[in-house]
Amino acid sequence: MRWLRRSKTRILLFLAVIGPGFITANVDNDAGGILTYSQGGAQFGYMLLWTMIPITLALIVVQEMVARMGAVTGKGLSDLIREEYGLRATFFVMVGLVITNFGNVIAEFAGIAGSLELFGVSKYVSVPISAVIVWLIVVKGQYKMVEKVFLVASFVYITYIVAGVLAHPAWTDALVATVKPPAWAEFKQSGYLYLLVGTVGTTIAPWMQFYLQASVVEKGVTKRQYKASQWDVIIGCIFTDVVAWFIIVACAATLYVHGFRDIRAPEDAAAALRPLAHEFAYILFALGLFNASLFAASILPLSTAYTVCEGLGFESGVDKKFGEAPFFYWLYTLLIIAGAGVILTPGLPLIKITILSQVVNGIVLPFVLIFMALLINKRELMGEYTNSRTFNIIVWTTTVVMIALTAVLLWNNLRGGG
Amino acid sequence: MAGFVLSELIGSRVLDASGALGGRVRELAIAPQEDQSRIAAFVVKTKGGDRLVPFNTVAGINGGLRTTSRSDDWTPLNGTEGLLFLERDLLDQQVIDVHGRKVVRVNDVDLFRDEATSQPTLKVSGVDVGARGAIRRLLKGLVPSPALHGLLRRIPPRIIPWEFVDLIETDPARRVRLKISHERLAQLHPADIADIVEDLAPAEREAVFETLDEGVAAEALEEVEPKLQKSIVESLDSDRVAEIVEEMNPDAAADLLGELPEERTEEILQEMEPTDRQDMVELLEFQEDSAAGRMTTDYVALPFSATVHDAIESLRSHEGGVETISTIFLTDSHGTLVGTVPLSKIVLAKPDEPMLSLVAEPLISCHADTPDAEVAELFDKYNLLMLPVVDEQKQLVGAITSDDVISVLRSKL
Repeated sequence: MRWLRRSKTRILLFLAVIGPGFITANVDNDAGGILTYSQGGAQFGYMLLWTMIPITLALIVVQEMVARMGAVTGKGLSDLIREEYGLRATFFVMVGLVITNFGNVIAEFAGIAGSLELFGVSKYVSVPISAVIVWLIVVKGQYKMVEKVFLVASFVYITYIVAGVLAHPAWTDALVATVKPPAWAEFKQSGYLYLLVGTVGTTIAPWMQFYLQASVVEKGVTKRQYKASQWDVIIGCIFTDVVAWFIIVACAATLYVHGFRDIRAPEDAAAALRPLAHEFAYILFALGLFNASLFAASILPLSTAYTVCEGLGFESGVDKKFGEAPFFYWLYTLLIIAGAGVILTPGLPLIKITILSQVVNGIVLPFVLIFMALLINKRELMGEYTNSRTFNIIVWTTTVVMIALTAVLLWNNLRGGG
Repeated sequence: MAGFVLSELIGSRVLDASGALGGRVRELAIAPQEDQSRIAAFVVKTKGGDRLVPFNTVAGINGGLRTTSRSDDWTPLNGTEGLLFLERDLLDQQVIDVHGRKVVRVNDVDLFRDEATSQPTLKVSGVDVGARGAIRRLLKGLVPSPALHGLLRRIPPRIIPWEFVDLIETDPARRVRLKISHERLAQLHPADIADIVEDLAPAEREAVFETLDEGVAAEALEEVEPKLQKSIVESLDSDRVAEIVEEMNPDAAADLLGELPEERTEEILQEMEPTDRQDMVELLEFQEDSAAGRMTTDYVALPFSATVHDAIESLRSHEGGVETISTIFLTDSHGTLVGTVPLSKIVLAKPDEPMLSLVAEPLISCHADTPDAEVAELFDKYNLLMLPVVDEQKQLVGAITSDDVISVLRSKL
């Protein structure tokens, strides 16, 4: 009977540590993700699909690294940067993080506004109410309970797979495009590099690394339990990128093929699916977008406030009263108010802003990766758990490629006057 | 007393006896075996590598160091285990503020020149954990000094005096050399120690629990939340855990051991003293959510013929915690429970009064398998401080104290 007990222990161990990797990866498919992938499919058809495999690989490596750092050191990423590289370096990383996360929060509220507009609710109603709900959930300390709800709701993302299939894509074309990058000339297409950076930025968002490491630490995963959380991370990443693949394919097969190359508002993305893929897909799209945006809107501002407070040494924690942790509460509240406020501006191009926020993610990403790569190779910090050579190659390649892409992007922008 | 600041001293120029630039200050070092707060030496970064410059060769500190030795005479730096380096080991690290009872991060270090000693020395006065230190670090070198100082003067400082700072070191050998014993931490109330420990990373938590005296460690561990208790115990050696468990209240110890995997519990029990081990094994056999799971075996029981004088004598030699003497139990020669006497009555009575005349009416007790809810009800209804637990033959097997009941109730609130 001993073998039964042992495998039961192993399963329980796995279930106990499941969560951080899976949750992080699913929040990955937030409004920014969904809209960027949709635009990618609409504007370029299957031409961005080849990035999915390299990006998934990089994502798995990067997420595994932060989970490993969290399990081995028991400290958050901002704590590690502070202790090893000092206050100034931490300050710059925190400023960068607040900027990108602010952009992401704006994107989430764009998603909330857009998805509820599909049901006829005006953004002037949906956004303020959602902002208040999000603020209350966290401040009243019910986040743990709500997290479970969101997690279950994450399975709604499977609807994207359904929508993708219902859209009758050209399967062979899609699969070929997944492994074969387009011709060099296609790269020079206007907007292609921009969307490429955005796709990477939305899949490997900097805030996710801080959030995952903090979650792993909070869950108390130790070096011994760490193997189970590796699987949690890998499965989460694969699931999230499979969903991303299907979003691109769905939009490519419906919008691109029929000439709708530009998604100007969330309605376009969903509405375009309606006549071609039946009522069902349209409603599912809206629900999925709403759930994703609300989920991320609950996590992002909070995670940002925690990360910044811990890095800079301010008191933090929702278990503390406002007067005990003023900076924490102010930062959290401001992120929500400002993020929601931006969306309420009339006539705002929601999609363009959302995609821009994901491109900013991609630009800031390499700097966070550099710190991560340096930290994880420190023997006095990680003991025998430093990076293998393969992992190091993948991380540094990703960093260099992203810096190069950003440089080219900026160069094009300056040169093209545009 | 002139004041200095670590971030301004680091990187400042060092002139040797001839007035030539020998290098730049890289570190300030304290030798804890000699003096816990005095700067013993500087580490200077020169063209040839790092050099150790003892403080007694420093003639002046003013925008830079002036030494009385020649730069060729400076000794190379080798072996650093006995020295505490302020920039590497203190700056940006977490330390324990024993006065404020929390964990803080060091933004900067304040030093002062102690003119009171025969030779002027440089000592650490405290660590800056507030905005002033942070802003100074951020803007140093970017903003001209006069403007920076003007700005900093307007920010109220948050300094923790050096005598309230407890360092955390995860390397045991280094802990000994740096004389880190957590004496100051040990003076705090166990609940405060638990709060502090909960804020630390696992390696630091382990370091604290390995260093604290067993009695203090046991009391603190009892107050730490269960999940963390497990994690701490998992990181310590079995014999160290046994030492701590022996000092814990038996009910808390049984709860803790009950959460661990069987093999681990066995290992720890093996390392314990036989008498303590026996108590533990008995308690571990009971279910957790009932009276038996909550009870302690650390009560005071006397023969029913005892007098108040006998009771006080036995209290004097009692080794358990204060919460276990609020009620004295009276038993017969078979161990059957006969009565309970609250401590308050003993205090007010004359020494030769028989204990039996002071018993509380009616005699309230419960069985080992009584569920939590009923136990709480009994405490509430009869305003008890301690509830005796008996078996089917009405023999006394243990007692539940009010603090356990409060913990149970709080977890349901």
